[in-house]
Amino acid sequence: MLTFENIGKQFPDGTVALEGVNLHVPKGQFCVVLGPSGAGKSTLLRTVNGLVEPTNGAIAVGGVPVTRKTLPAIRPRIGMIHQQFNLVLRASVGVNVLAGALPAVSNWRALLMLFPKHLREKACGLVDEVGLQAEHLHRRASDLSGGQQQRVGIARAFILDPSVVLADEPVASLDPKISRDILALLKAESRERNATVLCSLHQIDLARHFADRIVALRNGRVAFDGLPDDFDEGVASDIYGDSISGSLIKATPRQRAVA
Amino acid sequence: MLRTARSSATAGRLDPPYGTRTILVVLLAALLLWYTGQRVEIGRMLALTGDGILAAVGIKEDSQVSSGLGKVVGSLFPLQISERTEVTRIEGFDASRLPWFAHIEIAEHREQRLNPQTLSMEETIERKEYLVEPLGYLGHVAVKMFETLEIALWGTIIAVVLSIPLAYFGAKNYSPNRLTYFLSRSTVSLFRAVPELVSALFLVLAYGFGPIAGILALGIHAAGFLGKFYAEDIENADDKPQEALRAIGANKVKVIWYAVLPQVFPQYIAYTLYILDRNVRMATVVGLVGAGGIGQELKGRYDIYNYSHVGTILVVIFLTVFVLDQISARLRSRYV
Repeated sequence: MLTFENIGKQFPDGTVALEGVNLHVPKGQFCVVLGPSGAGKSTLLRTVNGLVEPTNGAIAVGGVPVTRKTLPAIRPRIGMIHQQFNLVLRASVGVNVLAGALPAVSNWRALLMLFPKHLREKACGLVDEVGLQAEHLHRRASDLSGGQQQRVGIARAFILDPSVVLADEPVASLDPKISRDILALLKAESRERNATVLCSLHQIDLARHFADRIVALRNGRVAFDGLPDDFDEGVASDIYGDSISGSLIKATPRQRAVA
Repeated sequence: MLRTARSSATAGRLDPPYGTRTILVVLLAALLLWYTGQRVEIGRMLALTGDGILAAVGIKEDSQVSSGLGKVVGSLFPLQISERTEVTRIEGFDASRLPWFAHIEIAEHREQRLNPQTLSMEETIERKEYLVEPLGYLGHVAVKMFETLEIALWGTIIAVVLSIPLAYFGAKNYSPNRLTYFLSRSTVSLFRAVPELVSALFLVLAYGFGPIAGILALGIHAAGFLGKFYAEDIENADDKPQEALRAIGANKVKVIWYAVLPQVFPQYIAYTLYILDRNVRMATVVGLVGAGGIGQELKGRYDIYNYSHVGTILVVIFLTVFVLDQISARLRSRYV
């Protein structure tokens, strides 16, 4: 479904975010991207829908190469979930969810805020599906808690039944319990639609629990690509170096001794 | 020894937040102020005002300022409320159908006239009928004030309509290219640079006396403000929701409508209310050059020395501005 061929990205200031990334993500896979901050996780995700243009290499979504010309057709098929939820805080939950369907709505309908009936019904259904009540529909997004806001973000991402969903650290600002709920919801929603998910995470335990496959980046290169069970503490300490994250700190000394 | 050396090496220093340079700059600024103050006679202003205050509390005999002000206020009062018109000057006058509250006054003039036959002076009595409307002039001023409010309202509407495209093309992140950005921003500066009174002078020549010139003058100047404020708010709006909509392929118009407008809307209301408020005050001023409304009436009366009429007009303007201030303050606290 997603093919990355020798992707490289160098920002104008000279930092190399990605280098020689080759990946193929088959349809329906829940693929988690791990790696320390600055490893290029976000950049990798953002090359898929053209928010970042790779300096070299080629990406294809469902066999269609991502170029400036094809982007307008590709973007509506890719849902995106953001770390900061990126909702319009002063708008209602309903409008936020419907905004996810904007590419499928004509300009004049969008300007008059007249969404077709099937989209409005779908938005209501999705709000219910992601675990919010009907009363939330007319509330401002700013009135919701972080977890609820991300639920709205998920509803927005799925309203057009995308074939690919990009989740850029969807739970980085949520507590562990809610993080788990949100990821479970994301996985359920994508399974139901057989959507391919590329999800970057910071929490190794969550990655191992939810992922079908883990890809780990270090300094812009793929350092690990395999099943969650193979992503053990040794691999983790290789990838995260000294900045090893929370849940693995205890396990690491023993593993090092063994290695 | 070692310890002190280390502490001075590692610890930071907390100097006063200003140095010699700051003091020099402040001194220079003070010098400049003193120089310009000399040129615009600040000293004389203070002396005259002081005299006026002393005269007002009775310490001094007389003062130029207080006697001048006294003369002005004295000629404004009593206010002219009624209207008195010679009946023969009213076209199609029907004495059986007088306007509300109006009555007819008959004035007799005694006049010495030379009779050409007898060549002697004779006294003749001339009768003139006047229609007196006790609140006539106040009503006239009220109508003019209402016209001024209409000019202000339409000036604001024109300003909003003009500034929407100016803001879109003048926002760096939405302008299609640098040329449109530059053109839009320079148009906005130009609009802002021309005061209403000046553009009204020329617009009166182009459109003739009356409200059109006033509406356009107000609209153009206010568009200079609104275009700038709207554009800057678009630029400063939080990019996160905009990115979310860009990522799924929504075009610029949709992104503005759904991700920018909800963010900037309260500010836009506040700016527009401010401009409306300002336009009401400015609409009275542009009338002075013939651009319609109460200002035109004011100028006309002032020029024929009808100072009690001027007094009525000033009081009505003051009351209107005061009431509108209250209303707009209430609106603002409710919607912003």
